[in-house]
Amino acid sequence: MGKRRRLKFDKKPEGLILNSLVDIALSLVIGFIVTIPLFFESGIFVNTPGVAKASSGDVSDIKVNIHLLDNGAIMLNEETVSYERLEELLPELLARSVARKVIVSTEQNVKYERVVQILDLAKQKGAGELALLRSRQ
Amino acid sequence: MKQMGNIDILPMACVGLILVLVMMMIAPLVMTHTQTSVDVPMAHTAETKTEENLTVTYTVDNRLLVNDVEILPEQLPDVISAELDKDPFQLVIVRADKEVYHSDVLEILAQVKRTGAKRIACATKKPRE
Repeated sequence: MGKRRRLKFDKKPEGLILNSLVDIALSLVIGFIVTIPLFFESGIFVNTPGVAKASSGDVSDIKVNIHLLDNGAIMLNEETVSYERLEELLPELLARSVARKVIVSTEQNVKYERVVQILDLAKQKGAGELALLRSRQ
Repeated sequence: MKQMGNIDILPMACVGLILVLVMMMIAPLVMTHTQTSVDVPMAHTAETKTEENLTVTYTVDNRLLVNDVEILPEQLPDVISAELDKDPFQLVIVRADKEVYHSDVLEILAQVKRTGAKRIACATKKPRE
């Protein structure tokens, strides 16, 4: 059997150990960097809020018309769809459009949050331009 | 000659930590566009960047404010026009509470557009996931 070397624990560390302090400080900074976008307000650009016009002579590129009803229903190009179905259909419809424009109209008592939810979804699915209509024709 | 001792770094580290904490607390207040508290809707899309803007706030109790100054709805076009005369390309951000009716917000957007605003955005906040 060889000699077992005894570890010496009685030696006091020289100076101050700052490792843990630096770790905490770094964690705080990283946490700060990660959470700051949550506090920061951003925005979605919207186009002219106007009144819907229907001109028989115009050839329109628009392929996505979303209408929100007071009862929570969503109508996509005159057909009632669920939110999940809208998520599926939006990329397909936008792919057919050159301008990739989405027009959103609502009934009178629709909450603003629902409209922004739809605008956000449209942007995520590749919409180029968002337009809000005051009334549906 | 008297020799200088080691620099005591602990107070400096403590001051640094306190500064970080203070910055974390103050940053949300500084980085919002105005001091008027509004629960804006959540959205993943973030198109606008930090820049000089004109903020139109519409609160849940139907108060209308332009750059934190409360105005009457009929005063909105004049106030916006006066601000846009200084810079016609100024970004107009509409901060509306998520609980208000969209028709009310749309009326504000329409009035802002009529005054000649070229860039209009709806304020949103990143969702916490």
